[in-house]
Amino acid sequence: MLKIWSMKQQQQAASAAEGGQKKKKVTAAQLRAQKDLSELSLPPTIRMHMPDPEDILNFTLTIEPDEGMYKGGSFNFTFAINSNFPHEPPKVKCTQKIYHPNIDLDGNVCLNILREDWKPVLNLNAVIVGLQFLFLEPNPSDPLNKEAAEDLRLTRENFKRNVKNSMNGGHVKNVQFERVLK
Amino acid sequence: MKVKIKKWNAVASWRWDVPEDDVCGICRVQFDGTCPNCRFPGDDCPLLVGKCGHSFHLHCVNDWIQTESSRGLCPMCRQKFEFVAE
Repeated sequence: MLKIWSMKQQQQAASAAEGGQKKKKVTAAQLRAQKDLSELSLPPTIRMHMPDPEDILNFTLTIEPDEGMYKGGSFNFTFAINSNFPHEPPKVKCTQKIYHPNIDLDGNVCLNILREDWKPVLNLNAVIVGLQFLFLEPNPSDPLNKEAAEDLRLTRENFKRNVKNSMNGGHVKNVQFERVLK
Repeated sequence: MKVKIKKWNAVASWRWDVPEDDVCGICRVQFDGTCPNCRFPGDDCPLLVGKCGHSFHLHCVNDWIQTESSRGLCPMCRQKFEFVAE
């Protein structure tokens, strides 16, 4: 009798361990990210790179705008999706030091749907389209780089010159920027 | 000729009363499937219909409402999320 008991417990422990492993294998965040990635429709100006195909929660994105003031640049972003996705937005950072009203010098991005306006029905496509939009229409209200925003508000022409200069690896107001021309 | 029924089995099928290919906006799984954390569809993983007309898996929308940033709003339309009591 006792033996049967312990055998049953062993069995349960084994299946529990198996179940635990299974859960670890595919989390809710991974399932959802997989769905989002399969529905992704990237325009020719955006490329995606997955350094580790096993890890779909971390990847990079390159945006090369073909119009607007940032035309000719090549901008890299890292995406990090945590286990709370889609209840929390992906963490998106620019890996280069660029001159942009909505991206600070550390690469933090100010995009409403990455912060206060995130909701779980939004998908990665929405985030990517939002990022691309920042390069077509930099937004001087609610800026992260206040100086760049001020420049844009005051004179658009001056701002355009600064953008060109910064993308070439030049200085804007004593701050040197990374060369991002492709 | 007489037929004598010795045994019979009844089979029934069910589905949620929503358009067939509707998915939960949060996990993007069909409503007839389960949320990512459940194994069996049905009463164990029910739907919740909001007064705003948007439906989700109970478990999915519960997770969302419990996050601080949700402010209790429907993830679709940002109206206050209140469910329709059956």
